[in-house]
Amino acid sequence: MDMANLEAILLTALILGSLYAMISIGLSMVWGTLRIFNFAHGSMMTLGAYVTWTLTSSAGLNAGISFAIVLALIFMVLFGMFFERLLIAPFIKRPGATLVTIITTLAGSIFIENSAHIIWTPRMKQLPSFIEGGVNMLGTVIAAQELVVMIAAPLILVALAWFLKYSRLGLAIRGVEQNRDSAQLAGVNVSMVYTITFGLSAGLAALAGIMLGTTRFITPTMGSTPLLKAFIVVILGGLGSMGGTMVSAYIVSLVESISMSFLGLYWTPAVLFGIMILVLVFMPNGLFGKE
Amino acid sequence: MVLQNILRKSQVIVFIAGIALLVIAPWIISSQYIRHLIVVAMLYAVLASNWDLTLGYAGVFNFAHIAFFGLGAYSAGILSKTFGISPWICILAGGLVAVIASAAICLPVLRVRGLYVCLVTFAFGQLCLQIILSQSKYTGGSQGLVLIPPITIGSYSFLNNDKIAYYYLVLLLFIISIVYLRRLVGSYFGLSVVALRDFESYAISRGVPLARQRLLTFIASAVMTGITGAVYAFYLGVVSPDLFGFGYTVTLLSMILLGGIGTIYGSLIGAVVLTFVSEFMVSLGPWRFLIISTIIVLVMMFFPEGILSAVKRLAGSMSKSKTSVQEIKGV
Repeated sequence: MDMANLEAILLTALILGSLYAMISIGLSMVWGTLRIFNFAHGSMMTLGAYVTWTLTSSAGLNAGISFAIVLALIFMVLFGMFFERLLIAPFIKRPGATLVTIITTLAGSIFIENSAHIIWTPRMKQLPSFIEGGVNMLGTVIAAQELVVMIAAPLILVALAWFLKYSRLGLAIRGVEQNRDSAQLAGVNVSMVYTITFGLSAGLAALAGIMLGTTRFITPTMGSTPLLKAFIVVILGGLGSMGGTMVSAYIVSLVESISMSFLGLYWTPAVLFGIMILVLVFMPNGLFGKE
Repeated sequence: MVLQNILRKSQVIVFIAGIALLVIAPWIISSQYIRHLIVVAMLYAVLASNWDLTLGYAGVFNFAHIAFFGLGAYSAGILSKTFGISPWICILAGGLVAVIASAAICLPVLRVRGLYVCLVTFAFGQLCLQIILSQSKYTGGSQGLVLIPPITIGSYSFLNNDKIAYYYLVLLLFIISIVYLRRLVGSYFGLSVVALRDFESYAISRGVPLARQRLLTFIASAVMTGITGAVYAFYLGVVSPDLFGFGYTVTLLSMILLGGIGTIYGSLIGAVVLTFVSEFMVSLGPWRFLIISTIIVLVMMFFPEGILSAVKRLAGSMSKSKTSVQEIKGV
């Protein structure tokens, strides 16, 4: 293997890793705080991308991409809060909430995907990119748009970590995450924190969807494959551990791009799932999870 | 106790009447399409009720169930088509492959808890799917396995007479599965599995071996599932990788939850209702899924224990408070 190949692998891993981190962090946050697994996370990505597309299209607002993203994010945060109130809040205090919310979020996901199918038709769409052209990096040419994704994702996640660490709301979210009862005793409105966390997670999903939509295509089912990757990432990283999720995103993308160039397209998903199951056999809480 | 006996007797009567009805149904219903739907509903019912064993009775979030079904279907199809092995042996082989797979996935399941079980078993299904996709030489890859030869006895093909032989084969499977499941959950083994679900540490301290019971539960729920997969492959003549997808898992899960989890009979009702309801809405296209997902959420919201329990409770409130005392004594 020559050096150019190695550099291409690393570069692909960095771009993919940023995307995966972006996709997974919302899932991990919802699990950490609400203790439920949101199977609609993938379809929220899809919805975010479609809403942004509508805002930029000539039939919609014909807005610039940056303005459209801001509007779409506001919409998606509100949508996520609505989703939580409708499909999670009524069930979360019940015994067996984990299983019931699996089915309600799955139902929500089916609803969103098929609505997208009806509203936007299954034909592929693409978002306009921020920057056109390519960039020469480490001897490999990549699309400038992918470079934006590669840099933007970690910045957004650092901003998120900052928010969770220092803002009042962030403190409340982390408080509920660490001890629901004590947080409630200290005067935190737990059900409101749940709703807000879910809204934030929907916003993060939308951002991930937009990143996918500018570098790839938008279809009603575009969220399902990334959701599977996010599965692997959050489990390997340890559910609920933010740092673990981020590190694990880059590990998964590295393994994936190495496997892609040696074993090929068909074997790579099998390798990833196999590794995940093996890791869980020896480390039941993931690489960085604590119980 | 008297009331309970009556209830039990009426249950037996309903069961026998239902079977009798299904036996004569093909002679009354001339529509081949309706007959096909009954076969599909029975297949779903077997799948859902066997899944209820791990999901409802053992309380394990096993999401690999549909993979056991798919593996049974694929192994029977490949053995029959590529190697020309007798369909009857293929059906047994389907069950065997599912059992082996269930034992294999049980190892990581024993190590992890709660939601991780759901994720690791789901990942196992995806792993199977990816392997099947990559081995297109045997499995037909993403196109699926087609032209699986039909079951024959001597020179009689099961395809003759509008697939009537398949109808009775599936009916037989359906009856065996119900009797098998009811006996299993009523046995000491079944009770110990429920004990592990409801109070794990106490059950273990009273000498119930967790690892062994869990492994046996997985195997017990995979046997019929694999066999059903094999029969399904022969019935349709086609196996597609869609079997491993989200769609089937969601459908089956809705059947169990709609009917009532941990009841066996509930999942039978859920399977029949959902098969017919969703089939009659096929012409609605994507709208069908909007309606079904809304129904699922509404049932979860207003009948958290499923349709069967709701009906039972309604019947219970009509026969005065005496029932509840009897029920408590019965338990």
